[in-house]
Amino acid sequence: MKYKWYVPYLFVLLALIGLFVFRLGPIAMVTGISFTDWSPFGDPSFIGFENYEYMFTDPSFWEIVLNTVIFSAIFVPSILVFSLLLAVLLNKGLKGTTLFRVMYFAPVITSTVAIGIVWQWLFSTDAGFVNFILRFLGMENPPSWLSDGKYSLGVVAFVYSWKRIGYYMIIYLAGLQDIPRVLMEAARIDGANKIRMFFKITVPLITPTTFFILIMSIIDSFKNFEIVYTMTRGGPGISSTTLSYYIFQNAFEMFDMGYASSVAVFLLLIVGIITFVNFRMKSRWVKYQY
Amino acid sequence: MKYKGNLSGKIGIYSLLIVIAIIMIFPFYWMIITSLQPLGAIYKFPPEFWPENPTAENYQAIFGKFDFLRFTLNSLFVTTVAAVGQLFTCSLAGFAFARMKFKGKELFFGLILATMMVPVEVVIIPEFLLMNQLGWVNSYLPILIPSFLVGATGIFLMRSFFENVPRELEEAAAIDGAGAFKIYWKVFMPLSRSPLSALFIISYLINWNALLRPLVYLNEKVLFTLPLAVTTFKGEYESQWNYLLAGAVVSVIPILVVYLLMQKQFIEGITNTGLKG
Repeated sequence: MKYKWYVPYLFVLLALIGLFVFRLGPIAMVTGISFTDWSPFGDPSFIGFENYEYMFTDPSFWEIVLNTVIFSAIFVPSILVFSLLLAVLLNKGLKGTTLFRVMYFAPVITSTVAIGIVWQWLFSTDAGFVNFILRFLGMENPPSWLSDGKYSLGVVAFVYSWKRIGYYMIIYLAGLQDIPRVLMEAARIDGANKIRMFFKITVPLITPTTFFILIMSIIDSFKNFEIVYTMTRGGPGISSTTLSYYIFQNAFEMFDMGYASSVAVFLLLIVGIITFVNFRMKSRWVKYQY
Repeated sequence: MKYKGNLSGKIGIYSLLIVIAIIMIFPFYWMIITSLQPLGAIYKFPPEFWPENPTAENYQAIFGKFDFLRFTLNSLFVTTVAAVGQLFTCSLAGFAFARMKFKGKELFFGLILATMMVPVEVVIIPEFLLMNQLGWVNSYLPILIPSFLVGATGIFLMRSFFENVPRELEEAAAIDGAGAFKIYWKVFMPLSRSPLSALFIISYLINWNALLRPLVYLNEKVLFTLPLAVTTFKGEYESQWNYLLAGAVVSVIPILVVYLLMQKQFIEGITNTGLKG
């Protein structure tokens, strides 16, 4: 269709304003602010790389980076393995599948706040259900999960994986439905067993979906502010502080916009680099041909 | 697909499905059970799996003393307006990206998709400074305006749908003298009930559960949304789990009910926006 030249721009106007005012503009601005000393109530002053120098020489910053990496290292593999497992189980064509799917998906639609609270209660030291089970199984001094720096980060990462798994399961389910059934039938006739079929047919043919889930779950794992805020506020100490929580803390609790922005720029670069590397590596393992 | 396999395999799969179902559902059950007991009862050892003396007093407190009705209405308002905003912005832009040729189309679409990767935590600082500058802090504008303007997922969803609408429909309307906006509104929108409802559900869900923006922008209690009210409440009543969980239940029930009634649309919506493959 031919329309007057300006008509398309009217249609995309709102979206373009959004793109520039709420995405590209802020990315440029956050970079600018990271070179300043700025509290929201005063005027910014340019201080060059001082925020970055402070950041890179602060040992607790590196601990927070490590926490972020650990969080992702728990979240991403659990998502990849378990969401595929659940999808395969639900794709068997058994009766009652819809009911199970509805249940597995329930945490996805529930707010992180509600989920954080209930799991904090389940993991509480004295009256928590998890420790009740452990005592029941004979453990005398079960851990005090969230108030113990050894476990807090792991528990939070576990809970977030529990919440998000249903989402990725649904995407895998859609991917599984695209695998041509004739291939499965042919393998079955050739006498291949289930496990062999899974690794030789399902896993390779689902790689495009796996690639998508890998990218999305890595980004997802960095967006952990809400669960950390609800469950531990980064504690005890900084044992469960992650980069996105650290940004919030510096910006909105300490009102150090400059330093918070330099952490934000760091996070953005990390996400960008990982996504870029993923796309570069894509052709090595993702197969689009059947 | 019908299940093919032997009985023992079937039993194995069902047991696995049930164990996983327990892990996924038990926290919800426990949340409700705890919210129906007085403070003294929830610290009992061993815990009661079925409360002997259930009570509604936590909920009375939640709605009476703690004014959760107000927060529920706030959430309903903010969420509905935000979701309607998404429908307009995303369908308008999706229409242009799917059916029109213009300079910069690929670039703009690529940029919109690429910014999906940017965590909100990264852009919230300049956004806050902007909203502060505009004097919009402590109003719903900083929460509503972005949902009227930003919507990568929705734009993608609407574009994919509009691309598959037959060209003839558009041409026939144009011959009848309809302009671009009329074609969009009278021809394309009525056809799009299913992607629009999927989009509505998704943005409803996201906004209903959102914490970061309300936390950053709302300081006055009368404006609080449910997730913000529940977190604030948590700071004030740290170990009163009976109250906290009743608050959590109140914040979850509305969306859970809608989900159970419309689970098919929920799941389809998520699948369609999940850009599979």
